[in-house]
Amino acid sequence: MTQAMRIEGGMVDRERTLAFSWNGRWMTGYQGDTLASALLANGERLVGRSFKYHRPRGIFSSGSEEPSALVQLRDGAAQEPNTRATTVELFDGLYATSQNHRGPLAFDLMAVNDLLSPFLAAGFYYKTFMWPKAFWERVYEPLIRASAGLGRLSMQPDPDAYDHGFLHCDLLVIGAGPAGLSAALAASRSGLRVILVDEDFVPGGRLSAETHEVGGQAGADWVAEATAELAANGNVRLMTRTTAFGAFDHGIYGAIERRTDHLVDAEDRPRQVLWRIYTRRALLAAGATERSMAFGNNDRPGIMLAGAVRAYVNRFGVAPGRRVAVFTNNDDGLRTADDLSDKGIEITAVVDARQGDVVEDTIGRRGIRAIRLGDGRRIDADCLAVSGGWSPNVHLTCHHRGRPVWNAEVVGFVPGGELPPGMSVAGAANGTMTLAATIREGHGAGAEIAGDLGAGGSPGTPVEAVDESFAAAPFWHVTGLRNRAWVDLQNDVTTKDVRQSHQEGFRSVEHLKRYTTLGMATDQGRTANVLGLALMAEAAGKSIEETGTTIFRPPYTPVAIGAFGGRARGEHFRPHRLTPSHKWAEENGADFVEAGMWLRAQWFKKPGEKGWRDSVDREASQVRKSVGICDVTTLGKIDIQGRDAAEFLNRVYANAFLKLPVGKVRYGLMLREDGICYDDGTTARLSESHFVMTTTTANAVLVFRNLEFARQCLWPDLDVHLISTTDGWAQFAIAGPNSRALLAKVVDDLDLSNDAFPFMACAKCSVFGGTPARLFRISFSGELAYEIAVPARFGDSMIRALMKTGEEFDAVPYGTEALGVLRIEKGHVAGNEITGQTTARMLGLGSMLSSSKDAIGLRLSKRDAMNADDGMRLAGFRPVDRSVILTAGAHFLNPGDPADMAHDQGWMTSVAYSPELGISVGLGFLKRGTERMGETVRAYSPVRDQDVLVEVCSPHHVDPDGVRQRG
Amino acid sequence: MDEITLEAAPVLGGANLEISGNRIVERDDLAIVSIATPLDGQDALAEALRNGWSLDVPDPTRSTLSGEVRAIRTSPDQMLLIFPHATPDAEATVQDRLAGTGYTTDQTDSWIVLEVAGPDTLSAMERVCPLDVPSFEIGGTGRTVMEHMGAMAIRTGDDSFLLLSASSSAVSFLHAVETSYRNVT
Amino acid sequence: MIIDHPLLGPRDAAEFVVLGDASLIDRPDGMTATVEEMHDYAYLRDNPAGDHRELWYHEQGDRSWLVVTRSTLTHEVIKVELARNVARAQGRSR
Repeated sequence: MTQAMRIEGGMVDRERTLAFSWNGRWMTGYQGDTLASALLANGERLVGRSFKYHRPRGIFSSGSEEPSALVQLRDGAAQEPNTRATTVELFDGLYATSQNHRGPLAFDLMAVNDLLSPFLAAGFYYKTFMWPKAFWERVYEPLIRASAGLGRLSMQPDPDAYDHGFLHCDLLVIGAGPAGLSAALAASRSGLRVILVDEDFVPGGRLSAETHEVGGQAGADWVAEATAELAANGNVRLMTRTTAFGAFDHGIYGAIERRTDHLVDAEDRPRQVLWRIYTRRALLAAGATERSMAFGNNDRPGIMLAGAVRAYVNRFGVAPGRRVAVFTNNDDGLRTADDLSDKGIEITAVVDARQGDVVEDTIGRRGIRAIRLGDGRRIDADCLAVSGGWSPNVHLTCHHRGRPVWNAEVVGFVPGGELPPGMSVAGAANGTMTLAATIREGHGAGAEIAGDLGAGGSPGTPVEAVDESFAAAPFWHVTGLRNRAWVDLQNDVTTKDVRQSHQEGFRSVEHLKRYTTLGMATDQGRTANVLGLALMAEAAGKSIEETGTTIFRPPYTPVAIGAFGGRARGEHFRPHRLTPSHKWAEENGADFVEAGMWLRAQWFKKPGEKGWRDSVDREASQVRKSVGICDVTTLGKIDIQGRDAAEFLNRVYANAFLKLPVGKVRYGLMLREDGICYDDGTTARLSESHFVMTTTTANAVLVFRNLEFARQCLWPDLDVHLISTTDGWAQFAIAGPNSRALLAKVVDDLDLSNDAFPFMACAKCSVFGGTPARLFRISFSGELAYEIAVPARFGDSMIRALMKTGEEFDAVPYGTEALGVLRIEKGHVAGNEITGQTTARMLGLGSMLSSSKDAIGLRLSKRDAMNADDGMRLAGFRPVDRSVILTAGAHFLNPGDPADMAHDQGWMTSVAYSPELGISVGLGFLKRGTERMGETVRAYSPVRDQDVLVEVCSPHHVDPDGVRQRG
Repeated sequence: MDEITLEAAPVLGGANLEISGNRIVERDDLAIVSIATPLDGQDALAEALRNGWSLDVPDPTRSTLSGEVRAIRTSPDQMLLIFPHATPDAEATVQDRLAGTGYTTDQTDSWIVLEVAGPDTLSAMERVCPLDVPSFEIGGTGRTVMEHMGAMAIRTGDDSFLLLSASSSAVSFLHAVETSYRNVT
Repeated sequence: MIIDHPLLGPRDAAEFVVLGDASLIDRPDGMTATVEEMHDYAYLRDNPAGDHRELWYHEQGDRSWLVVTRSTLTHEVIKVELARNVARAQGRSR
């Protein structure tokens, strides 16, 4: 079969034949076809099965409003279900299959549902699957899941690439039909920067589908002329295949551009681009969507919107039938008969509801064969063109909750209420239903917006056209039907469902929608909603105006989730920050852990080590025995300068900073204003007016933000300035008894003796013969320790040089796990303890809180409840049975007490196996913990299935007097 | 023991990519020094800039250029000087000419600088930069977020920009910029 | 969402971090304030239906804290000021 239904004319390129596969059969179409027009050209009328009743369904429309012709496109991982055949641009090698049937499309086994239809009406699920309760999970849900949905997902990762992007314009025109093109011409001639988007792959809107003349030439010729003018204007971007799907705050629009869907080979370029369009103004010129009427068996393949029939004939050169009947309630529908007659297609009947004639029923199994009129006559027809009037495409006007209003003349809802700020509407979307008026309105809107925005150029004059007759009657459905009449084709909602929902008391349109699912399918009921509302109004004895309408939300048409994800997938899901020693660490067996965006080495595996504990125990032991080196670049570093820098620090730290001498470092504790600790770190004074603050890795951004807040909002006239230097310095902790000896070989000309460079000293210096550096004598491990920083460009060279120099001391690199072991052994608090719920007193740092100054959080930290003597206190814990490995998160209970919250005594925050002590040790909060040294309590962890006795001890498991770090 | 000296290494190893006639180059020859304006010290600093480099204090969205020295504003009271300089003493050279009229911090190692140029540059920028860079004049600057990374864009020509982002995420930043070019060419 | 930065022009909200009620500028002096005053400052916020003055931080921009007057009913941004100037105008200094 070779395109038996193809006729003369249209905009397809007959020189370019394209082969495509439909349900495994190869067919041909032309460049410029949609899958729908190509299927029709090949005489394929039955293209799918309906959602609920598995009724045979065909192609109903010619655009994105399509409720029925939903197909699976492509195969394998790239398979995309529920694709509208009416919007799929045909390409060579296109592969599509029908969906929602078991067995062949023509003999769907699930079609039995159609015979069960009396039981599948609105609310069926709610009523039927209630009882017995136990059946829900075991029987009903699997049953429903198996039969629900239309297409099938591939269940494989989407192999296609997506991207996103940002565009800016003065005016975004949505829709490149006569109104949109006219507006874009006027606005661009005036000098505005214009973006014109259209979901179709050719501009022109209805002009492509109709035989109207514009400016004395064929509509399509005028479209070509207009787009050529727009293309020549450097300020216009015409984007076809682009759907503006949402109107967001402050003039931001979302649009999805299909870049390569129509190409045989995308060559790995993104399939679709999600655009965020920043606009000063927007003009909605999205046209209107035709709707059907309700009559018996009005869903058979071959029953099609009249405007779609004209589109297939005029634009695509395809006859949707050989003998076509027309059923209309307006003049627009009559034009269908004229257009088809001109092409030599036989018109078997024109049934005009305004004259009292109706189609009562249709006949046919897998497609319509005949219609039965109200007077009983049967008339042959293999296609029925239906026009129930046109509904303005008001969708985007609703996205800020603007409610459309009923317009009796248009017989449809037109934009109403408050539109999104900056949006105006022109053409059929605004209820302006005739061509010349649409063009004038579009042109006028473009010119007016240009004037509003101060563009000085001349918009020119609108192109001439005629106003075709448009006289619609509010005729919705045929009465007294014996057979079912469909309202919402995609969700299989019938007139009976609408009436039943009313009878059952669902009186609000919002309830009607949710009870019947009318308009809740992927087409958002574009061809169905108004008909449903009219039926509901009638059942309630009210006007449509009184009944009101549901509104639309983004997206206007479905957008692939992949497009929202864009390129953020796999290893590029989010950026990574790498430390200066990253490359060296990779070469040396490092296993990395994500810490925020940072990748940090958590341990360095040596040959023969069987698990992470082997590596971590070795690293921690070697630090205490000799010396270890750890990249601590990730700690936040903030350069603080100014005449008032010391005063500023004194107000943001809870402990005193005003008198920190130059050349010294101090540990500082930061509180939130409510008195709770939120970060700690060290700050070094490099000169009278110059400090370097460190923060925890996790809070670097937050601390900087809070410091800026304090500087700008609280004390705007302090002379203090901040800049982050986190990335600028490669900083290494060098810890262990041999750290001084190692550093002596690294640092140039600096006396490192304990007297000259004591604990908490700092200095600018140089290393390895002249590279500038900063040295800080601080210790997180409790050992004699330093941190040395060099400009990051030297970081890779520095770690290699340090390791080489450290060979004679068997220096080890250590990762974040060993770092954690060392600080737990030492009893230094970290994120597990500073949780945003703990006070300085709980942390054992209560004596740091100054009582002689104001600083953020100090006032509220003094509240009685936060200083109660029976509060939680940091303590150390060791298992009574020394072989037990403790678990963090365990709660403490007094022996003999029941395990409930009423008897809770605290919780374990951090645990580690201590290679130094040869046992598992913990830190935690215990009620009056500091007074309970030597007591035994239960550490109870039901989630880890552990219940052990632990001994309360000092949190400083190692070197409680701090001799080593001062040595 | 052998004498060890440290060697500076560009973060991206001196990346230099050609993508369909466009070029992405890591500029590791540029030093960056921040200058903060002391409270009530605007006039003295402006004079020092003029005397030291013949530079005007830049407007918030524009950079100023004098020879090869560029100044861009990063905050109401802070700017960056960007200039070719090889050794890690850029701050001292700036402070020499400022003579205490501004607080300086060496930022060279904090940033990665990519120079991007070529006919598809504006199209590529659309995919990564939320700012309206096509309407930037030459010299126009903006600081924003690109692919979750803080970044600055400086328009240096019709089809060329300097892009700055944090040096620790340089690999991800290069990937973001490179992907943007690949997706439009 | 767009915030019209007083120095930089319209910028996408993605560049900003919001803190909330601009009353956080009015921090009492911790040496003289009562616990109740400090408590009210730290915890109490108005929740107006209408114009709301909020603190936004241009984290991915020029690091300015801004006072944005925004209608909670329409989401319209009515006014944007540098918080530093607002703080000074409200008498805050050193």
